[in-house]
Amino acid sequence: MVLWSALATFLYADARRRRWPLLVADLALTLAALLSSIWVLSRASIDAGDPTVTVSWAAAPVLAWAIWGGPAGGLLAAVAVAAADVVERGTITQATTDGIVLLLLGGGVVGYVVQLARRAERAVAEAAHREAAATERERLARQVHDGVLQALALVSRTSADRELAGLAAEQEASLRRLVSGPASTPVGELDLASLLPRRAAVELALPASPVLLPAAVATELADAVRAAVDNALRHGGTRSWVLVEDEPTAVMVSVRDDGPGIAPGRLEDAERDGRMGVALSIRGRVAGLGGTVNVVSTPGQGTEVELRVPRAPG
Amino acid sequence: MCPEPPAELRLVVADDHPIWRDAVERDLAAAGLTVVGVAGDGEKAIRVCTATQPDVLVCDLQMPGRTGVEVTAAVVGLGIKVLILSASGEQADVLEAVKAGATGYLVKSASAAELIDAVRRTAAGEAVFTPGLAGLVLGEYRRTEFDDGAPRLTERETEVLRLVAKGLTSKQVAERLVLSHRTVENHVQNTLIKLQLHNRVELTRYAVDKGLAE
Repeated sequence: MVLWSALATFLYADARRRRWPLLVADLALTLAALLSSIWVLSRASIDAGDPTVTVSWAAAPVLAWAIWGGPAGGLLAAVAVAAADVVERGTITQATTDGIVLLLLGGGVVGYVVQLARRAERAVAEAAHREAAATERERLARQVHDGVLQALALVSRTSADRELAGLAAEQEASLRRLVSGPASTPVGELDLASLLPRRAAVELALPASPVLLPAAVATELADAVRAAVDNALRHGGTRSWVLVEDEPTAVMVSVRDDGPGIAPGRLEDAERDGRMGVALSIRGRVAGLGGTVNVVSTPGQGTEVELRVPRAPG
Repeated sequence: MCPEPPAELRLVVADDHPIWRDAVERDLAAAGLTVVGVAGDGEKAIRVCTATQPDVLVCDLQMPGRTGVEVTAAVVGLGIKVLILSASGEQADVLEAVKAGATGYLVKSASAAELIDAVRRTAAGEAVFTPGLAGLVLGEYRRTEFDDGAPRLTERETEVLRLVAKGLTSKQVAERLVLSHRTVENHVQNTLIKLQLHNRVELTRYAVDKGLAE
């Protein structure tokens, strides 16, 4: 027992060895020592209520199991030691009951406390990690803001090459959104504004606060807007304007282009000969959301597609 | 379209990025405008404006020390017009600056020609209403629609703002609504003035509540 105590102290010191083989060996050895009492001492001495060979030494593996396996491990080891004790004595006395109750209490409580401590430790580590990540992100955002973003904005502004200027402007906008991080939105909702196309040819007019919609609605509406913008730019428009209005009962998005527009009376013709095919598919999408689409065209002032999607009540 | 500018416009440029500030300064100078001072932070912007009394302050939003919104609030009191030159994605700050008294807002990726036109119009007392700004102002009126004492848009003003937000020029808006160009400009201007007045009232009320003023 002295030898094993020394050896166990040494073995338990290293975290890599603190695993189930050592724990099982420790418990098995303790049980063996306990059960050997009948030969080491005598039947008479045991029956007289003398302590077993292991005495309180038997509590050591119970505590080790509790630390390793939480309340379940501690209780399991306590039950094993208690069972061995009862088998050894063949009867349950006041002293064994006390011992067993103390063992069960010790195994359970130590296991529980260890589990709590581990959880707390993990929570602290996680919080520290999150904070470090946020700090790093802020540092990156500052650097990107002070350097790359300024350079991109400058290129987009001074470059004589329109394509390059447009590309720089797009990249500037998307990089800025990336480093500023997604605005925190309620679970299951999305900010419609964050899903709209960001292109040099598209000018967005948005409210200052996020336009929150259920995620599926926001995605579908944004797809419809993208289709409307693509359609506008394909049919003679060189630029497109997207206005988002957030009303208490509905969200309105209008997409206008600077194309030639459609003369009065020609709108129905245009829809018939397929020029408005895309507009029809947009109509379908928005109708699926319970909304409506209105196409208005003023000669010389382009075509406007107005999408209106109701907000779910409540 | 814009009215005849004063003989010589005097400007201050405030931005904390030297490369950017220099580029803006060069563009303005090339167009015959005089940059009488530059500043790399908010405190200095206010000092330079106080000392030089420019016609227009071309102001960045994010600066160390005092922000563009605070600088705007300080210098409009000196009778200086403010044109905000902001990066994209700063809508909330742009709105605050406009409420604090800025009369124009341009994104930083706007071309040199657009910038110069905007500076001239700001100096002439016109509001530089980009579609983006119109969208912000519309959104702000919608947000406060049910607040007591908050300003309201007339039906006409809403109509005009929506068309501006959809990218129509004020001439096109005038054509569509059969109004004079001047009337359209007045409507647009009014929507801003009402917001700014309300903002001032709110700030005063806040100050009184906090015991900072009589």
